[in-house]
Amino acid sequence: MGTPKAALEWHGSTLLDRTVRILARATNGPVVVVRAAGQDLPQLPEWVVVADDPLEGKGPVQGIAAGLAALTGRADIAFISSTDLPFLHPVFIQSVARVLKDDEGTDVALPVARGYKQPLAAAYRVSLAGAAERLVKEDRLRPAFLFDECRVATLDDAELTRDPLLAAVDPDLDSVLNVNTPADYAAARARPAPEVTVQLFGTLARGGNAGGRHAVRAATVGGAADAFTLVFDRHVTAVLNGDQITRDPATPLAAGDTVYFLSADAGG
Amino acid sequence: MPAGGYFGRVLVVDVTSGTGLSRPLPDSVLRGYIGGSGLGTWLLYQLGTPGADPLGPRAPLAFVFSPLVGTPLTTSAKFAVVAKSPLTGMLTDALASSQFAIAGKLTGHDSIVIHGRAPELSVLLVDGDGIRLIRAAHLAGLTAADTDRRLRGELGRGWRVAAIGPAGERGIRYATISHDGRHAGRGGLGAVMGAKNLKAVAVRAGTKVATADPAAVLAAARDLRERSFGPATAKYRELGTLANLLAFNAISALPTRNFQAATFDGATELAGPPAADATGDVPEDVAGLRRVARSSCASCTIGCEHIYRSRGGKQARVEYENVFALGPMCGVSDPDAVLEASARCDELGIDTISAGGTIAWAMECAERGLIDAPWLRFGDSAGLLRALDEIGGLSTPLGSLLAEGSRRASRTVGADSASFASHVKGLEMPGYEPRTLHAMALGLAVNARGADHNRSGAYEADLSGDLDRLDGGDAHVAAAIETEDRAAVMDSLILCKFLRGVFSDPFTEWAGLLSAVTGWEVSGGELHETARRIVMAKRVYNIREGWQPADDWLPERLLIEPLTLPSGRVAALTADRLRAMIDSYYKLRGLDPEGRPDLATVDDLGLA
Repeated sequence: MGTPKAALEWHGSTLLDRTVRILARATNGPVVVVRAAGQDLPQLPEWVVVADDPLEGKGPVQGIAAGLAALTGRADIAFISSTDLPFLHPVFIQSVARVLKDDEGTDVALPVARGYKQPLAAAYRVSLAGAAERLVKEDRLRPAFLFDECRVATLDDAELTRDPLLAAVDPDLDSVLNVNTPADYAAARARPAPEVTVQLFGTLARGGNAGGRHAVRAATVGGAADAFTLVFDRHVTAVLNGDQITRDPATPLAAGDTVYFLSADAGG
Repeated sequence: MPAGGYFGRVLVVDVTSGTGLSRPLPDSVLRGYIGGSGLGTWLLYQLGTPGADPLGPRAPLAFVFSPLVGTPLTTSAKFAVVAKSPLTGMLTDALASSQFAIAGKLTGHDSIVIHGRAPELSVLLVDGDGIRLIRAAHLAGLTAADTDRRLRGELGRGWRVAAIGPAGERGIRYATISHDGRHAGRGGLGAVMGAKNLKAVAVRAGTKVATADPAAVLAAARDLRERSFGPATAKYRELGTLANLLAFNAISALPTRNFQAATFDGATELAGPPAADATGDVPEDVAGLRRVARSSCASCTIGCEHIYRSRGGKQARVEYENVFALGPMCGVSDPDAVLEASARCDELGIDTISAGGTIAWAMECAERGLIDAPWLRFGDSAGLLRALDEIGGLSTPLGSLLAEGSRRASRTVGADSASFASHVKGLEMPGYEPRTLHAMALGLAVNARGADHNRSGAYEADLSGDLDRLDGGDAHVAAAIETEDRAAVMDSLILCKFLRGVFSDPFTEWAGLLSAVTGWEVSGGELHETARRIVMAKRVYNIREGWQPADDWLPERLLIEPLTLPSGRVAALTADRLRAMIDSYYKLRGLDPEGRPDLATVDDLGLA
């Protein structure tokens, strides 16, 4: 496509930046980016851990091994994603990861969505790092070899959308739609930003911004603020889905999100 | 004595004998404790008899001014009232703003400390000529506002009055002291004053106070005034603190039905009108309430007071805390009833937060069959108003029980009622849900005053986006300490907290103000040390008065009943998590594992 996938733009963000922020939103845990040795990466948030892939051209299992190794001691479960999933939804990540949280006997939660296995949109136990590394050394580089050695729960479309929240926000499982060709990328860019609901409170709800909830299209919190010509400065905070609070305009939004803008000063 | 800002004297009045003694205050104390809350703590430690009954004659009641009072700095016309609380048995320090601060300081004293008990209901007069006690039998039973009007009419121009209502005379443990419509509200200071047989204290200016660098003070005042018109104070100017109601409801931080929930279906009904539009016009007749006026404290450019009138014609100043406590906390969504209840609290002279918290506890007791009061149910407006009347009049056994506050009342009722009595150290909880605001949870637990949102503004950290408000840990501890330190300085200078957002480098900027007024060369670092000294001195005072490690804790309900947020995330504040945060707080504050400072630290406080 002429440009590394990580650096492709989508509604104001690079694909990599959006992916790591979506992962951070969904997991509230550390985010590791695995890169080939010497690979230039687009700008990333300072909290991202960058791990170098020591071996080039070894495919996905090598990336999985490096990522899991970097997370060892920091987390028990990892959601592993490729960088080219512009529609990856936090609820998809949480729903897949929950399979491992709920069943300690399962090592991998593997979506089989839209007709394909999705090893790069799946949840893994971090304890698989050693097995993955050994497979690389043995030059057994397909994820299927790793799956042969552990307990895998496959999640087809029906199982995935049994989660009512996921069914509501990502009914077609667009989370796993990747960008492999210029045509894919063009199609992804042609899609509008996610539809989200915004409500402004207090003195922010003036004039046309008053009146409760507003449906807008915005890929980031900053974009949602722009839709209301709201100055998103230190006097304003945003609350995602009544839960996470942020003052970072780059915080990504996904379909179905609710964003509240509040005065940053809660004194009373 | 410093070149400006102080008189270097405290007036100690014995109302038993009707005598007063002006005593010097050492420079080291003024610089080390500044004024207001800090100086009041030092005075209470010095002048209070250890272990004394807060409603007894030996308990001091201190009106404490500060170096900025009398300057043109916006929001500086404030004073602290400091005493041992009859609710908590520990230190309470309520701040308020009015001309009383200016007139009181210009009597020529940095503080007026009262002890003893007048032989009959009296008014204490203080001016440049000294003190005198006058009889107040004709004021008995009057509201604080009526007392203020009557006295000012009788005394003539220049007098400013702080008075108690009927609740203070009757010793209700959360009675307030009021002046110019403002209240020193929390902790039962009105009961302390009533126990001294004082209906009011009236002060009249008799002198002037200098500032060390008048030009610098004036320049700072102009700058601060400009900043006070900016976005950091827009919420207060345009809506008042009531703006918190819908916002807190949206983020599951609005305590509801005695902390059984953190969102309230009736919040929208209660929230009042939306903001004024760009022209400044105020919408009318929203949800039955009509905003009829907006006003300011003395020397304030913010103007956060928003006065509403109900359909029945009652007017009351509406704040988030009184609407929370008498609305969602009691399950009441009728704005007229909440406004009526607020007005009734003002007439009686009782703290709305403690009143609402205690009644909410009683409602739950009644619903569980622990109290025989079938008329007292969550959401029942008439029950709320009847309960207030019974408390104010001490007219029934239930009223007398609830006049003691939720902690004492729960000890009387027994069963498991203590587990859902929403207080810390006996002070009822403000409208901040600890399970969804973990930094605030710590701030409430360790606060010297009890469950208080003004001495610990840790909710600022929870709502900053810099940390996860549902996952309390070391970052929350550090943030709680920082906000506690800031509050200690603001409450001692004194500046209104609603101004805090205009300061980008607060300790340094506050040091600049203090330097210009006093002539001291104060640095931000010194003020940070001062903050820690004040926080520690309050803890040392409490320890002397019987504080135990178990007092730094939260109500059991908050630790065993998790909340589920609309996102599906569970907000759980467990005992283990709270214990870990408290342990970390003690460590960072230099305390031992039980929360006590070592002897060297105590010596450094200069309390002895």
